[in-house]
Amino acid sequence: MEESNSIKLIRKSPWLFHFNSGGCNGCDIEVVAALTPKYDVERLGAVLTASPKHADILIITGPVTRQTAGSLKMIYEQMADPKIAIAIGTCACSGGVFRGGYNVLGGAEKVIKNVICIPGCPPNPRQIFAALKKLYENKLEEEKNDGGSKLTKE
Amino acid sequence: MGAVSLPKSDGTTVKLVPSESIVDAVKEIATTHPHLVGITAVHADSNIELLYSFDNFRGELRHLRVILPDKQPSIDSISGILLGAYIYEMEVRDMFGVNFNGHPLPNTRLLLPDSYPAGAPPPLLKTVTMDQLMKLLDSVQELQPPSPAIPITGSSRYSAESVVILPFGPYHPALKEPEHFALALEGEKIVEARPRIGYVHRGIEKLAENRTFLQALFLVERVCGICSFHHSWTYTLAAEKLLGITPGARAEYLRTLVAELERIHSHSLWIGLLGYWAGFDSMFMWLWSARERIMKLLEMIAGNRVNKSYITIGGVRADVSDEKLKIVQREIEEFKKEFKKISEAVMSYEPLWERTKNIGSFTAELAISAGAVGPTLRGAGIPYDIRKIEPYGAYPDLSFEVITEKGGDVLSISTVRVKETFESIRIIEQIVEKIPSGNPVPQTFFMGTSKEGEAFARTEPPRGELYYYLRGKVGSRNPYRVKIRTPTLPNLVLAAEALKGYTLADVPLILTMIDPCFSCEDRAIVYVKGMEPLMVKLPRSVPANLSLGCPI
Ligand code: SF4
Repeated sequence: MEESNSIKLIRKSPWLFHFNSGGCNGCDIEVVAALTPKYDVERLGAVLTASPKHADILIITGPVTRQTAGSLKMIYEQMADPKIAIAIGTCACSGGVFRGGYNVLGGAEKVIKNVICIPGCPPNPRQIFAALKKLYENKLEEEKNDGGSKLTKE
Repeated sequence: MGAVSLPKSDGTTVKLVPSESIVDAVKEIATTHPHLVGITAVHADSNIELLYSFDNFRGELRHLRVILPDKQPSIDSISGILLGAYIYEMEVRDMFGVNFNGHPLPNTRLLLPDSYPAGAPPPLLKTVTMDQLMKLLDSVQELQPPSPAIPITGSSRYSAESVVILPFGPYHPALKEPEHFALALEGEKIVEARPRIGYVHRGIEKLAENRTFLQALFLVERVCGICSFHHSWTYTLAAEKLLGITPGARAEYLRTLVAELERIHSHSLWIGLLGYWAGFDSMFMWLWSARERIMKLLEMIAGNRVNKSYITIGGVRADVSDEKLKIVQREIEEFKKEFKKISEAVMSYEPLWERTKNIGSFTAELAISAGAVGPTLRGAGIPYDIRKIEPYGAYPDLSFEVITEKGGDVLSISTVRVKETFESIRIIEQIVEKIPSGNPVPQTFFMGTSKEGEAFARTEPPRGELYYYLRGKVGSRNPYRVKIRTPTLPNLVLAAEALKGYTLADVPLILTMIDPCFSCEDRAIVYVKGMEPLMVKLPRSVPANLSLGCPI
């Protein structure tokens, strides 16, 4: 798999696959809230898919536990290129409050490279929407060059 | 020194029982107190203390305490008397290495995989530190996906040809969280269901022992994002009992307000998901959009929607102004109208009715034996609600009904949840009217040290009774032991039983029935490496009993 530093969406309808790697459910319900009427990421053509093989974006919530690490790697590998991984919530970014627990490996970057991080415990659906919108408009890169980005991380 | 007795003001009694006579003692207590609240284990002074807690559905708790040596501890299983005990015993077995004789699943380590290093010490023993555990587990860590199945050791009473073991999960479109079930199918029909949990285990109980009382509060809040406030509240109640702190009346009201808002958001979330699993997507969207009103209120009060960190030991972290309370009043009125419209529409929709009636049926006896709690138990007609039987917060001043239904199936549990939402609205209306003045914020946040002793607390989160046990050692800044018994654990025992006899297509609905929250349940469970490769071919001979059910 080639690793590129530029995070760009190819399709205009990014499909999502949601992976809970050990979270507390907080991030998960906020992801679902972002899909439902008030925020409605479907406006960006995004839908939740049931299979990683159909997805463009992998959404990871929760700290990576020893038990889920293998599945996370496998599911990411099953996605077709080009693909993007987004870590939603402080836990998925770094392990968060659970860092140091014997069963917690840390953030999603322990397993996959080039993860976009949206910190927050949990991030507001507004933030999730904003991040997806930036991706949709392919603005993420510019943001980063401004030096003011909270979103990208390499 | 061994056992410290629980505060007597609770009216609770602890009886010391020799380990040989535990079965007789439980048999006797179960005739009057059939609800097993939990089995708490504590490792102290080279002993493992087991505390069995029972309730008679009226809040008169009784406890049995057994003291075992920490070298090869062993005791008889009580799962033959109360079905739900088997899952608590497994938890203790995995976390403390206690052997339960006569356990229905003696070799199946439901929580701890067979590949856990055999001689490794159980994680919650005081003699093993977090660093040692880390080192040990890192040395066996592999980036291999776990084999997606549960070894059904032994064999079955079903003939090998007719039964297929179907792995369900851990990552399955019908599960919002990673969990695994092995379903034994005969054609379409489920004859056996065995849950395998532990995917989102984060080791919170061990982590909490390494943090101060205040830090642990933020940790336990994150046991579960949906009932986060109830986790922090229950922990705070136990800590306040232990440390001898009483919050002011306004703080109690504000805590109750946030808790009830949380119940409304959780129940509407659940009713929405029910629609989703039943193939009624607009119901899902309607409810989730109505729920946003409540989320907005929570954000206004606490500053965050989900993990609110609103409570603190001795009070709450911020007051709510009168203007904000007015907004609460106004918004809750609006929500009531909206919710009424939606719930009338969906609950009178015949296809939904037919899809949920007589699905996942269970009897009240089974529910009691499994130890089920919350709307699941109330859906079978038992009015067990901690807010009523052991009032805490502002509940003694507020009037509300405990909702029960007769059916014991998905439909009646849904009805309970719909009606409870209206009761919660009623409670919030009263809170806004009655709330006393005063300062709910403590002068300083608790940074002190503990007293010697133990305390427990219970609350009623949206999913049912939640139990926390705290042990303190004098002069220590950290809790010595935090034990969490979440509602999903006993409810899961019931769901696994209720699945039997239904078809594969009903699985999402029946599992949703109990409103499972695996993040809650898993915090206490160690999971290190994959399970054995699945797809066990069922052996032809018939040794062990495949059934999860224990004779009652
Ligand atoms: S970031 Fe916060 S809300 Fe998200 S999984 Fe972690 S603890 Fe839960």
